Amino acid sequence: MIKTNNLMKKFRTNEVETTALNNVNLEINEGEFVAIMGPSGCGKSTLLNILGLLDNPSSGELFFYNERVDGYNERQRTNLRKENIGFVFQSFNLIEELTIYENVELPLLYMKVSSSERKRRVNETLDRMKIMHRAKHFPQQLSGGQQQRAAIARAVITNPKLILADEPTGNLDSTNGEEVMNLLTQLNETGTTIVMVTHSPSDADRSHRIIQLFDGHIVTENMRQKL
Amino acid sequence: MFKIFLNTVFRKLYLQKGYSLINILGLATGITCSLLILLWVEYELSFDSFHQNKSQIYSVYENQTYADGETFTVYATPAPLAANLKENIDEIDKATRISRTWGKLMLSTEGSTFVENSGLCVDPDFFKIFSFPVLLGNPNLVMPDERSIVITEKMSKRYFGEDNPLGKTISINTNLKYHVSAVLKDSPKNSSLYFDFLLPFNFIKENWGFNLNNWDSHAFLTIIQIKNNTYIPSLETKIKPYIKQNLKQSNTDLALQKFSDYHLHSINGNKLSPILYIRIFTLVAFIILLIACFNYMNLSTARSERRAREVAVRKVVGAHKRGLFALFMAESIFISLLAFGLAIVLVELLLPFFKELTQRDLTLKLSNPTLLLSFAAIVLFTGFVSGSYPALYLSSFKPIRILKGKLYRDSHLFRKLMVIIQFIISVALIICSSVIYRQLDFLQDKDVGYQKDNIIYIEMLDNFQKHYPKLKENLIKIPGVLKVTAANQMPINFTNSTSDISWKGKSKDAKDVLFQLSFVDYDFIETFEMEVLQGRAFSSKQGADSLKLVINEAAASVMNMKYTIGEKVKIWDYEGEVIGIVKNFNFNSLQVGVKPLLMLMSSDEFKYIAIKTSGDEQPIINKIRETWSKSFPKIPFSYRLLKDDFSYLYKAESRMSLVFISFTLIAIIISALGLFGLSSYIIEQKYKEMGIRKVFGAEFQNLLRSFLYRFLKWILLANLIAWPIAYFLMQWWLAGFAYRIHISWMEFLGAGLLSILIAFITVFYQSYKISTIAPIKAIRYE
Repeated sequence: MIKTNNLMKKFRTNEVETTALNNVNLEINEGEFVAIMGPSGCGKSTLLNILGLLDNPSSGELFFYNERVDGYNERQRTNLRKENIGFVFQSFNLIEELTIYENVELPLLYMKVSSSERKRRVNETLDRMKIMHRAKHFPQQLSGGQQQRAAIARAVITNPKLILADEPTGNLDSTNGEEVMNLLTQLNETGTTIVMVTHSPSDADRSHRIIQLFDGHIVTENMRQKL
Repeated sequence: MFKIFLNTVFRKLYLQKGYSLINILGLATGITCSLLILLWVEYELSFDSFHQNKSQIYSVYENQTYADGETFTVYATPAPLAANLKENIDEIDKATRISRTWGKLMLSTEGSTFVENSGLCVDPDFFKIFSFPVLLGNPNLVMPDERSIVITEKMSKRYFGEDNPLGKTISINTNLKYHVSAVLKDSPKNSSLYFDFLLPFNFIKENWGFNLNNWDSHAFLTIIQIKNNTYIPSLETKIKPYIKQNLKQSNTDLALQKFSDYHLHSINGNKLSPILYIRIFTLVAFIILLIACFNYMNLSTARSERRAREVAVRKVVGAHKRGLFALFMAESIFISLLAFGLAIVLVELLLPFFKELTQRDLTLKLSNPTLLLSFAAIVLFTGFVSGSYPALYLSSFKPIRILKGKLYRDSHLFRKLMVIIQFIISVALIICSSVIYRQLDFLQDKDVGYQKDNIIYIEMLDNFQKHYPKLKENLIKIPGVLKVTAANQMPINFTNSTSDISWKGKSKDAKDVLFQLSFVDYDFIETFEMEVLQGRAFSSKQGADSLKLVINEAAASVMNMKYTIGEKVKIWDYEGEVIGIVKNFNFNSLQVGVKPLLMLMSSDEFKYIAIKTSGDEQPIINKIRETWSKSFPKIPFSYRLLKDDFSYLYKAESRMSLVFISFTLIAIIISALGLFGLSSYIIEQKYKEMGIRKVFGAEFQNLLRSFLYRFLKWILLANLIAWPIAYFLMQWWLAGFAYRIHISWMEFLGAGLLSILIAFITVFYQSYKISTIAPIKAIRYE
């Protein structure tokens, strides 16, 4: 599904150049659950953002379903994202001025889905994430766990083939974290590919494969036995 | 301490270059406008303020009441009035009559002849009342006798070069001789009384044979100087019936106006007097400055989130709210000082254009204490107003909330309000300037009922009438000259009037009606292509037309005769017969409507020769000049174009409208800057949100739409508020014109669209900028 060849990412400020990713080669297959681990600043999030076409690599190649996408323009990226990829962030990234319902509905608006269809899908998803009763509330009125479930609802509403999750439990207590991980696991079981950045070994345990990054390199790749 | 302050301020300005530029530039533009307007207003207000006795000098003016209930207000008073008032009313210390010399005079010294029209005839008290400095001669006895002439420095140079002019002789119209008794400094440009020479008042009798004892002839300005501690209301009561006391049947009351109000305040209650424009422009200056301050406040508070951390850290290390308030205030005043410096440079650069625009001799004198104080006030005002809100807002941040990343977001309403106010002002200004422009354009192009194109006219010297028939004969022979006629006044400004008119059927107890009176030659009606509705125009083929009258529709309607044509009308002691009625035409500024008019033939009164040409005037004028020089080699030829003089009637208004439109443009630019600043701010606030939207599929047009929606709401609201304000203001202004345009809905729509366009351009730019950034940068942005 995803393949990278010699992916590089460099950041430049006035005088300093930092290499965030250095010759990253990796392949992710459809239906996999991959965890990316490593110390702070090793390039995990950068890698995830490039895989999600939220950021551009400095050099190297990126393939999505065997099609090279690193040279895509902004419109092509947007289209690819909205049809295939859902995002979950550590800090939820819900829009404060919109209700939970409207936040979840947002991707469908940009896909020009009809209003009756939107209503049906939003209600169904909120129900699935068990936050239907919070639909009319604003993000800041919800607990962290509820906010992250809303964020997951938003990520899955378009039925994406791939979900990219950047430390999805990082801001949550253990109970809420557990709940979120259950949701992601269920999604994977229904066929959604998941790539997750995490610090938590117990979260990583849920994955099929762990990629260890250090200073922008892939150090190890461990295949795990699915429990 | 001060050094640290300066360092931080400059560092901040440098680090946020774009923001600093918008901020300082916006403020500087605002200050520049207010300074320019202030200079102009100060100049206008300075008129006649150089007279030492200014608080004691008053003009006496007349309120004449007529049958139609209309009051005719004029400065023209009878000749015997001044001396009588001085003699009989205790409170009056000095009095003088003032009259412009009538038309052109020929002045000659040994060897040279000059044609002059800028003389005044005055009484000796003139020199004690007014403060025109005496350069040569006895300052206590400037005009010692009836044969004295007082000239200005400029005229002295022109007539006598560097020689001492005192005692030298100047002849007027060859027969009257005067000797120079004093030389005055040239009258300042901000003096309502402008002159090159002053003659004894008796000149009017000597030269024109005018009866100076007639109480029923209103022609002269009367100026009085009152004694100290005079109670004005009681003096006014004494003066009011003064003419009626001397002339039983008079319809005239007298009133007083401070001479320092002469330039700006109209006596006839016309609301479109110059002082109105002064007030409007002072308001405009204030509004522009306020808009600029709003911008500053907006941009500063908008940026405050960036400064929140600074505030928090300062507070954590011990700064008090009051100290922070002072710091931000000082910063703001400092920035307004910078903007002020820039504004001074801009004013110097723009002053030549502004002088041209206002036709005033304005200078930026930094040594002038009043001006300096006003400037200091502007800087303080700008700094204080523009700094007050940001300073209050910033200094009240709670450090722990900020350091935890939670900011106040409750200033949105205030900021929105300011942008809405800016747009209300801008939209209203756009509508007003459009209406003003169209109205003045309309007046220029309005069909006044006579032909003003291709007419040149020549002002005659005194006693020239006898040469006129011969000159007419010669002029008409010139190819391209179609008609030649003469009259006592040109149709652009008829001023002669009388109420001593009677006709058959005029009811005995009817009050007086004021008729305009014009003395014209044959071909007058044809030259100006006036339309004859009934009867005929004057014609040499019809025998003696000298006791015949042509009247206008308004006069016919006032007299309400049975037949009109052939009816008799008595003017003073002469009885004339109506031979024709012409269609109403406008013989005054179009601000005033058409009044009843009688035209009759009397060659003694001619003062102007009017020549209608076939077009392409210059070669024809050259021919006329040749003909003139052959006949009168000693008299310089000069002429005017009627069309130019017609435009001149509206020059004041045209100038005002130009100035107004310029400042409207500036106000719009500043408002646009404000919107730009605010939209940057909102977009900065929404940076993360836009990032999120982009992650989930939003494209450029989605972002643009969501921003536009936000801003358009405010712009529409601003329009809805501005429209009625502009409508009522302009209705009120237009009501001052006898002929006026209708305000069109297109003006409102246009202003609305323009404001939307401005909003669209700013928002488009900002949306485009954000749409090109990788979304992750936006999400990470804090």
